[in-house]
Amino acid sequence: MNNYLIVASIIFCIGALGVIVRKNLIVVFMSLELMFNAANLGFVAVSNRLNLISGDIFVIFVIVVAAAEAAIALGIAIAFYREKGTVDIDKANELKN
Amino acid sequence: MEALFYVFSFIAIFSALMVVTMRNPLTSALYLVLCFFALAGFYVILDMQFLAAMQILVYAGAIMVLVVLVIMLLNISRIKNIGSDLHQKIIGGLISLILFAEVVLYIINGAQKKPTGIFTRALIKKIGNTQIIGEFLFTEYMLPFEIASILLFVAIIGAYLFAKKKY
Repeated sequence: MNNYLIVASIIFCIGALGVIVRKNLIVVFMSLELMFNAANLGFVAVSNRLNLISGDIFVIFVIVVAAAEAAIALGIAIAFYREKGTVDIDKANELKN
Repeated sequence: MEALFYVFSFIAIFSALMVVTMRNPLTSALYLVLCFFALAGFYVILDMQFLAAMQILVYAGAIMVLVVLVIMLLNISRIKNIGSDLHQKIIGGLISLILFAEVVLYIINGAQKKPTGIFTRALIKKIGNTQIIGEFLFTEYMLPFEIASILLFVAIIGAYLFAKKKY
């Protein structure tokens, strides 16, 4: 189980790196999906090790939430692009200036 | 099984790195699909074939089609080369390295819990993982299941409102 958890944490940290470093809104969204998937892998590995089923059920709910989040996030991306003409998240600075 | 695990973990980590480092968002999207397939392979190794099918259908199918469609709708030449600053890279790398070290220390030093549930691999294989998940979804997890349907409905309305011309 430890091997699975370490792979999951590597993928999670790569996703976190992408969320922090990248400026492209769509790539940030895809890195978020990576983090979701790493968490899912952790859930499945742990519930397999402990002979439980609740982790697997939870993965299904995570997938549902990820689907809802994808629809909303891409709607925001389209609205942002229409407003600014780009998807660079540094251009979202109305509250700062 | 062991060899398959290493193959899948290599593919998953490599494609995850590619998702983060590629300049073109479309390339990142295709590498993300590869990563989802590798994770589905992990689920098959862990005897959860239903979750592997869900992963491929919902993530690699529906969500990534949506992402590729949005990349197509936007002007690709204007969203292709959005680089990041050096200080951003340094801070991001440091934060994710610290996070990784923390998680790995926790995994290695944490106490291993003994298996408590009744769903061993043999039992899951005997009943079938799809049937077990279905029974649990419609009995013990009935309320979250219904709330998930409401969430999806709200998400449809929200996506429509966001993508509308005037709001």
